Amino acid sequence: MHRVMQQPFKTAVLILVWGWLLFLVLAPNLLVVGASVMTRDPVSFLSLPLNLDAYRQLFDPLYLEVFLHSLYMAAMTTLVCLLIGYPFAWALSKVGKQRQLILIFLLIVPFWTNSLVRTYALKLILATNGLLNSALMSIGLIDEPLQLLYTEGAVIIGLVYLLLPFMILPLYSVFEDLKQELLLASHDLGAGRLSTFIHVIVPLTLPGILAGVMLVLLPAMGLFFVPDILGGSRNLLVGNVIKNQFLDARNWPFGAAASIVLTVTMAFLMFAHRLSKRRIGEEGA
Amino acid sequence: MKKLALAGMLAVGLTGCSSEEPQVLNLYNWSEYMPQEVLDRFTEETGIPVVYTTYDSNEAMYARLKLLDDSAAYDLAVPSTYYVSKMRQEDLLLPIDRSKIEGFDNLDPELVNLDIDPENKFSVPYLWGTTGLAVDTADIEGEPVTAWEDLWQDRFDGRVMLTNDMREVFHVGLRVLGYSGNSTNPDEIEAAYEKLSELIPSVRTFNSDAPRMPYLEGETDVGMIWNGEAVMGKDTMESLEYVYPEEGIIAWLDSFVIPKNAKNPEAAHQFISFVLQPEISALISEEIGYATPNLAARDLLPDEVANNRASYPNATDMINAEFQTDIGDDALQVYAKYWEMLKSGR
Amino acid sequence: MTRWLPRTYLTLVYILLYVPIVVLVVFSFNESRTGYAWGGLSLRWYEALFNNRAMVNAMWNSLWLALSAATVSTVIGALTALALHRYRFRGKKLLNGMLFVVMMSPEIVLAISLLALFLLVGLQLGYVSLLLAHVTFCLPFVVITVMARLSGFDESLPEAARDLGASDFTMTRTVLIPVIMPALLAGWLLGFTLSLDDVVVSTFVSGPSYEILPLRIYSMVRVGLKPEVNALGTLLLVFSLVMLMLSQWILIRSKR
Repeated sequence: MHRVMQQPFKTAVLILVWGWLLFLVLAPNLLVVGASVMTRDPVSFLSLPLNLDAYRQLFDPLYLEVFLHSLYMAAMTTLVCLLIGYPFAWALSKVGKQRQLILIFLLIVPFWTNSLVRTYALKLILATNGLLNSALMSIGLIDEPLQLLYTEGAVIIGLVYLLLPFMILPLYSVFEDLKQELLLASHDLGAGRLSTFIHVIVPLTLPGILAGVMLVLLPAMGLFFVPDILGGSRNLLVGNVIKNQFLDARNWPFGAAASIVLTVTMAFLMFAHRLSKRRIGEEGA
Repeated sequence: MKKLALAGMLAVGLTGCSSEEPQVLNLYNWSEYMPQEVLDRFTEETGIPVVYTTYDSNEAMYARLKLLDDSAAYDLAVPSTYYVSKMRQEDLLLPIDRSKIEGFDNLDPELVNLDIDPENKFSVPYLWGTTGLAVDTADIEGEPVTAWEDLWQDRFDGRVMLTNDMREVFHVGLRVLGYSGNSTNPDEIEAAYEKLSELIPSVRTFNSDAPRMPYLEGETDVGMIWNGEAVMGKDTMESLEYVYPEEGIIAWLDSFVIPKNAKNPEAAHQFISFVLQPEISALISEEIGYATPNLAARDLLPDEVANNRASYPNATDMINAEFQTDIGDDALQVYAKYWEMLKSGR
Repeated sequence: MTRWLPRTYLTLVYILLYVPIVVLVVFSFNESRTGYAWGGLSLRWYEALFNNRAMVNAMWNSLWLALSAATVSTVIGALTALALHRYRFRGKKLLNGMLFVVMMSPEIVLAISLLALFLLVGLQLGYVSLLLAHVTFCLPFVVITVMARLSGFDESLPEAARDLGASDFTMTRTVLIPVIMPALLAGWLLGFTLSLDDVVVSTFVSGPSYEILPLRIYSMVRVGLKPEVNALGTLLLVFSLVMLMLSQWILIRSKR
């Protein structure tokens, strides 16, 4: 009786969600893979024959430089987020429970605010006549305004500003789970502070670090509007390259290949994340 | 039951908004290239609301039109000269029905019936302008800037702005080397790239959305600008000068075209006629500082606009001036590659 | 020493996070046009905003889109979460994995893949394409929110309901739905916000027939300093603050 009743509902739901995912996630991604091995066509975007030219183009030293620079900026963003976020998450986990809730709420508020508008607000601060320069000049720290806007630094600041909560939240959750006793035990066994940190805390928080890296590094390669607003259309990200290939230069195979690079990076990070989680699991058991 | 309800809900959601389609004019134009007043007056007069969407390069406009293809709902676009011929040849445009256009005869005979579109079957000139040097004279010391070549001087390190326009930037590089700005020779393009890459370290930013802004915001002191932007910029910053470089300015003509898949070509024709009215053309030229090809409008312009050398260059200013032409897709690819390298360079 | 150092540090980071937002709000009431200098208190930019017909139109479009995208993704997401929670079926792991991948995928990858799909099937870019895209990136977040709620849920309740002869469907309606209601609302609000904020995906899958707010803002901020953007940003901030407080309130109340 039950079987009969539950079958239609279950089937309907599964068809719906599988249909959605197959049609709007799997199929489109296969299309991108397909596009990446086709030939650029000035009239209809894509044409035969199939080839790997787009991938070869990725490794063209010229484009490789673009990619490496973008990767460098994304990596710097991630590193800065980690350096700020790690102690932050730790300090946050030490605060009393009631206050913690408020602090986390405060951390999420900016994330709920329009990211374009927040990037724009940074421009008000970093500009030559902007608030930061005015403030520094009025207290006499500098005589000439600093050139902050339209630099690599401005792009990284913008990315860090947008993505920092994504680093902090997973780190905070691993710090929450970190067992106090484990640290004490390590201490009792005579391990110093530094060695406790390196041998106990870092490995235990590794899944959090990797989750944070994943949540920051990937968007940091794709958020094309940040260089557009803060980087003076220089200091391009992979996202800008992909966008230009699709919406400007009309080289779809190359744009598709570039986006596959992002997907591969994502797969790699996910794999590392899983691996680290599994290792912790084994050690804990 | 559930499934049905769900399907119903989806259907409602999907059709909810697309059912009502009021008559509108979708105008696809360069940013800051049409005073709001003109749009408002058009709506007032005809009752047709204008949806104004912008782009910052011919490439972006063209790519979007190609991309949207059948679903493109743009009724009017404003490509530059060389893109008019490209789009016409690729059969992306609807012919203009001259019987529905009033005031075509007011246009400067020198700017109609050009090679890009013989007899103006597909395009009606909107504005023409030039790309020259912008100099913030308040912040620049020493020798006056008179040539594109001057941008390479050390004293401008970090103070230079270029337009975010592949063809224009390479035009400058090619002219400095003595080549044509419309070169299709890969060696010349590469040489221009080499030359420009020496300039890149002193380039602060690329901007084609509103090239006057980095000067007004104090981020840059010298570089490229469109003449209309220079005129608009001077309103707020007296020290912003428009200079005709010795190597020659870049000249262009932007024309109205009706994309093949326009949903409302009728309104598009109406809008073109509306703009061709002398007082409207004059208003546009006065507001945004570019030169109108409408001779009847020229007579209506106040003296300070008509005699403004930035908007309306004289014969000496046009020495060495070069009009941009269509260079074909192959050459474009060469440019595109070097362009990307340039912009990512340090 | 060990007490004040972390606190100072926390405070410092919070200040850095909030300075730009405060600047934005303060400057939205600035009379001056130039953007950097203070020229007295004024509401002129709010007025300019509401007198801009295209802007108001884009606002309504965006609200309607966010509303529908959040609703559709909540319905599909909740059903998916229920199926994942209740049933055993082949490919369950794969389904889970796929949702995870969608959540992790850089937006730009999703954007171009959907663009390619819409072009291939000849779907007109506009409201429908935006809706499909937005539901797709909201979906995993709803599923996760609802799943989290379900995993803390007492399994004996549906068992009891079933023993009393309730069908699966009735059981879902009368027992499960009330339990997951807070998660549904939280998921809905999250979806709403994500949709309202999205620039990357919308840039690719929108057409001229349906202009939305983030793209309008994008073309405005690219032009340069526009005080209207400050005013608009402040309004959006207030709006999302209300939404966020609402969702927190729902979550906290449901725990009692």
